Amino acid sequence: MVEFIQIVVNGIFTGGVYAIIGIGLSLIFGVMRIVNFAHGVFLVVGMFTTLFFFERLHVDPFLVIPLVVLVGGLLGVIVERSLLEPIARAPEHASILMTVGIGLVLSNVLLFTFGDAPQIINTRYSTSTWHLGPITFSTALTISFFLTVVVISGLALLLGRTDLGRAIRAAAQNADAAELQGINTRRVRSLVFGMGFALAALAGALLLPQLFAHPSIGPTYTLKAFIVTVLGGMGNVAGAIGGGLLLGITESLGAAYVSSSYRDVFGLAAFLLVLLLRPAGLFGRSRT
Amino acid sequence: MKQMIMALALVFLVLGTAGGTSGAAPASGEPIRIGAISSLTGSFATFGSMERAGYALAVDDINTAGGLNGRPLVIDLQDDTSSANTALTVAEQFINSGVPLILGAYSSSVTKPLAVYMARQRVPLLNSNSADDSITKPGSDYVFRVGQNTDAYVKPFFALFKQLGTIKTIAILVSNNALGHSVENSLLTQAKDGGYPVVFDQAYDEGLTDFRPVLNRIKDTGADVLAMSSYEADAVALMRQIKEVNLNAKIFAGAGATGFAIPSFLKGGGDTVEYVITSAAWSPDVHYPKAHELFARLKAFMGGAEPSYHAIRAYAGATVAADALRRAATLSPEGIRAALQTTSLTTPFGTVEFKDFSGFHNQNPLPSILMQVQHRAYVTVWPLDVAVGKVIYPTPVWTARK
Repeated sequence: MVEFIQIVVNGIFTGGVYAIIGIGLSLIFGVMRIVNFAHGVFLVVGMFTTLFFFERLHVDPFLVIPLVVLVGGLLGVIVERSLLEPIARAPEHASILMTVGIGLVLSNVLLFTFGDAPQIINTRYSTSTWHLGPITFSTALTISFFLTVVVISGLALLLGRTDLGRAIRAAAQNADAAELQGINTRRVRSLVFGMGFALAALAGALLLPQLFAHPSIGPTYTLKAFIVTVLGGMGNVAGAIGGGLLLGITESLGAAYVSSSYRDVFGLAAFLLVLLLRPAGLFGRSRT
Repeated sequence: MKQMIMALALVFLVLGTAGGTSGAAPASGEPIRIGAISSLTGSFATFGSMERAGYALAVDDINTAGGLNGRPLVIDLQDDTSSANTALTVAEQFINSGVPLILGAYSSSVTKPLAVYMARQRVPLLNSNSADDSITKPGSDYVFRVGQNTDAYVKPFFALFKQLGTIKTIAILVSNNALGHSVENSLLTQAKDGGYPVVFDQAYDEGLTDFRPVLNRIKDTGADVLAMSSYEADAVALMRQIKEVNLNAKIFAGAGATGFAIPSFLKGGGDTVEYVITSAAWSPDVHYPKAHELFARLKAFMGGAEPSYHAIRAYAGATVAADALRRAATLSPEGIRAALQTTSLTTPFGTVEFKDFSGFHNQNPLPSILMQVQHRAYVTVWPLDVAVGKVIYPTPVWTARK
């Protein structure tokens, strides 16, 4: 039983980070109707930005998170303004190809700048743990889960209680109507893409102290983000949280009780089942 | 981007070739070109850069010492981007351009299909660094391996277990790839022969970075030895999470060398990798002529970075190729293949002879050594005649460490 709880706890903690990755993708899809194939690469950009600050400025990776989020947000706005806005009225596949291209360029820039060896950082808490009864918690995972909760709560407040949040939700529901109400949807789109990039970069910063960074691991996370988003319902931010946690727990239990060599299978199987049986997502309502 | 790296690699090699012309009778005349395939980019790039250094220094040395009967050797090194498909394309281009011998590749998962292709094309492949048993078992007349296979990697561990006497059970965790499965098979066979029950045996997917669920399961088995095989990043991630879940074994074994036996393992793993015992193909402590000297020269050549055994083996591979090219009756694939078969050469890496034994074909029967991480450095601990330090055993439990 203890073992089971331990495995579920690990799954929840990992799932929290998956949720952050998924929320960004979901937000972008909800407002912009763009399937962002570069999302995993944005996360890797976050990892390397953190790595850069950690190695050059010798600051704790968790302390540079505001900087990383800022860099991510700015990059997102720049990318949206210069590359996605000009093709906003083009057919859907144009934006898909564009995001694939953005991902390729970014990962190769990282490869060129940081080289090809996997980068690992050592912090005091990379391997430290704390205990609650018989359950062991990784310190790094705990901090990142705590930050995840803070960020998701903040995001929920932003979307639910502020004018900006209302503008974003309005633009997601019906862009033309929102425009008629005086909402500058062009600005909203830039902001949302910036937020999506910043959230992915944040996930990268949260993962770096425990994992490793490599320019080519982006697609792995893009896939995870897709699974989370589909589980939760495309464009459904609250659903992405549920989807993230569900994916984390499924993977953890599957790896422990079935076989770790099939770890990704569990997430993908859930992905297919949901697509077949509930195409709007587990927590989703059909949009049409 | 890729082209740029390739171009840089070529420039590097050509510079390497032209660099050491200060010797007594440097090679002149029409160069002899052979191909080499390695992973200069992609997930195995760290190992590829080791191979590149080994080849470049070897070419330098060979040409300074008179080349191949007066003609300079050129190794045309191409990138396989850590992918088997690219390696096959490169090999095809090499063969179409008349290259009579190819060195490489690095990773077993790339070398396996490459070896099959080369055998079909009847052009010899000389491999230095891939360890999967099945590359030379059953092997082919056109595939030669300088380096140790996984059976040889695993063997010294069981000799050590026997000497220690208090090892009873073994847990196995390997990466889900050609190398991992070959290590797994070698471990299972030798554990059975030695009478050690295997209480856990699983492969994990590469790129999986949360090992906690599976490590917790291993912890429950209470195995005396945890034998692992991983490439670079996974090895460090494993040791970190082993500490985190407080999994204590008497021996943490890097049974497939590779990720556990490179300098970045020490750097990335910090105090979590202390006491890990890894097999290795080579260390400067071995009793082969000029071993220490070669290590120092490679280190200088790499700008002060620590070379791993992969660089040494690539150096040995290039030396063996040069020896065969000198002795070959004709510089055709068949002529070179015949010369390779009669190789008997002592290199700083060890003796190289291609033998047939226990199902292997054209395999160099060289033993492996064991190194233990002690005070954040690799110390050769096995076999006893080359050991420079004693094995620290059993591994202190995590809570007792500072």
